[in-house]
Amino acid sequence: MKLASSAWLPILSRALAAMVGGYVFTYAFTAALARLLPMDNVDSMLVASLLSFAIYTCAILWAFMARHQWSAWMGAVLALPLAAIGFWPQLLERLG
Amino acid sequence: MKQTITQSLAWLHTWGGLIVGWLLFAIFLTGSLAVFDQEIDNWMHPELPAHHLTDEQAVERGLSYLREHEPNAKQWGVSLPYDRSPELRASTGGRRDGVSVTLDPNTGEVLPVRESAGGRFFFLFHFTLFMPGMLGIYVVGALAMGMLAALISGIVIHKKFFKEFFTFRPAKGQRSWLDAHNASAVLLLPFHLMITYSGLAIFLVIYMPAAMDALFDGSRDAFFKAQDPAPAVVEAKRPAQAEPAPLVAIGPLLAKARDVMGPLSGVSITNPGMSNAEIQIRPILGNRIALIKGGGMRFDGVTGEQLSGPTEMRASVLTHRVISGMHFAQFGGYPMRWVYFICGLISSAMIATGLVLFTVKRRRKYASEGRVAQVLYRVIEAVNVTVMAGLSLACIAYLWGNHLLPVGMAERPDAELTVFFGMWALTLVHALLRPRMHAWREQLGLAGVMCLSLPLVSLLTVDHSWALHSRMGVELTTMALGGVLLWACWKVSQPQVERVPRKKATVLAEVN
Repeated sequence: MKLASSAWLPILSRALAAMVGGYVFTYAFTAALARLLPMDNVDSMLVASLLSFAIYTCAILWAFMARHQWSAWMGAVLALPLAAIGFWPQLLERLG
Repeated sequence: MKQTITQSLAWLHTWGGLIVGWLLFAIFLTGSLAVFDQEIDNWMHPELPAHHLTDEQAVERGLSYLREHEPNAKQWGVSLPYDRSPELRASTGGRRDGVSVTLDPNTGEVLPVRESAGGRFFFLFHFTLFMPGMLGIYVVGALAMGMLAALISGIVIHKKFFKEFFTFRPAKGQRSWLDAHNASAVLLLPFHLMITYSGLAIFLVIYMPAAMDALFDGSRDAFFKAQDPAPAVVEAKRPAQAEPAPLVAIGPLLAKARDVMGPLSGVSITNPGMSNAEIQIRPILGNRIALIKGGGMRFDGVTGEQLSGPTEMRASVLTHRVISGMHFAQFGGYPMRWVYFICGLISSAMIATGLVLFTVKRRRKYASEGRVAQVLYRVIEAVNVTVMAGLSLACIAYLWGNHLLPVGMAERPDAELTVFFGMWALTLVHALLRPRMHAWREQLGLAGVMCLSLPLVSLLTVDHSWALHSRMGVELTTMALGGVLLWACWKVSQPQVERVPRKKATVLAEVN
């Protein structure tokens, strides 16, 4: 199997987007979901955490299926607002 | 320059894929063996006799020992024999600072039992790989996640996988490996999805602490505390001043606990012989699918009044425990254990065929490359042998070591581990020194012969090994596995004449 000389960078980028970007996205998504679920803390913590591995799987697949090189990193970008939702009280506290 | 980067990336890909496969094989094989951890443990403690005690008699034996030898201990514990283990233990104090002895269930006297790392070793290796600290747990988690993503992407790619499942072309060299690999992957797909997801879910607070960080400020203790339901149903008035008072008859309490929770695993008594005594009775893990730790029922030690339990779990906690329990396979008794064991072994075989395929495919390519590539390829082939044949050899050597090491030696469990890891290291040296096919043949053959002759080792080193059915089961199963290993050995020894005619057939014949 011959890899075109220029193909390695996109593949590396997508692999990183899948593993690192995917984890960051999943982390933020899980935190936000746990925050938003209208349940008791323990319940929403477990529901969100149990789902997180499915979310991570989807995020990994997304990174490889995304049409454009850069949209593979969309998850990592989305992580920022999601994390803000998930860690809203902590954020307010930090901002004083 | 670019060319070398491409090359190094290709190498990374090859290596990455191989290392994942190697580690997954080790995880699946030891995980399959861990299904029968208790049975292997019984085999590794051949001093344990068979017994026919009821729970009531066993508790009585344990308590009379503790009354005689530990009358002043703050806490007594008796762990009961049950259908998987004949061991009766009496202990004092907490789990860490306490002392614990094994009693002969037939006489109630202390039973000298050899020290051993036991069947638990396979269980520990399965999820820690014996790496330092938490590293192993993270590595195993990353592998499980990778496997889950690979399974799902595999389903997406192979939309026709049911058709592939019915495609089997035996005795066609590489084509057969591929078919066997695909068939076992599809057949066991539900098992693979369940076992990887539940494995990840067990450690969700470690692998994905996001929700815990957000809602409990990352405090595991706060989360576990919130998980526990409201405290004790009935909190009887405890006398402030404790005076000597006789312990209530335990028999009726055991019967009551058994009615409510099923088979029991143990009894512990705090402040025995005092007016504030308390009795806790615990169920065995396998009574329900959900994995329950601790829990059980609490009784007043003087009046016998029920104080609390068994704790009811809230739906979300129960869900998590059920998913974890599906991984641990404690439920469903022996039939379920066999299902998990066989599925696990077939998965190991699937990974093994995958690794063989992977290297066979690249053999041609490396044959025509430079010296460094050939040396590296040689190492890969050697590690391939070490991980598959060598690990099998190390596992059976671990069992042999248990019976052959002197019974009274110091640091005995460590010595057993040295046998395991030492043997594994030796198989690597052997695989590096011997030509590839010789290494396969010799290691598979030796592992097979050692498995088949395990009963002989028992016969020569211990008395009445088959007094326990579980020990007989371990030896018979090991012999069957020895047969499989010898079959594999015979298989790789066959000259590969039936090749699919293709252009590169000559190159193949050369490198084989």
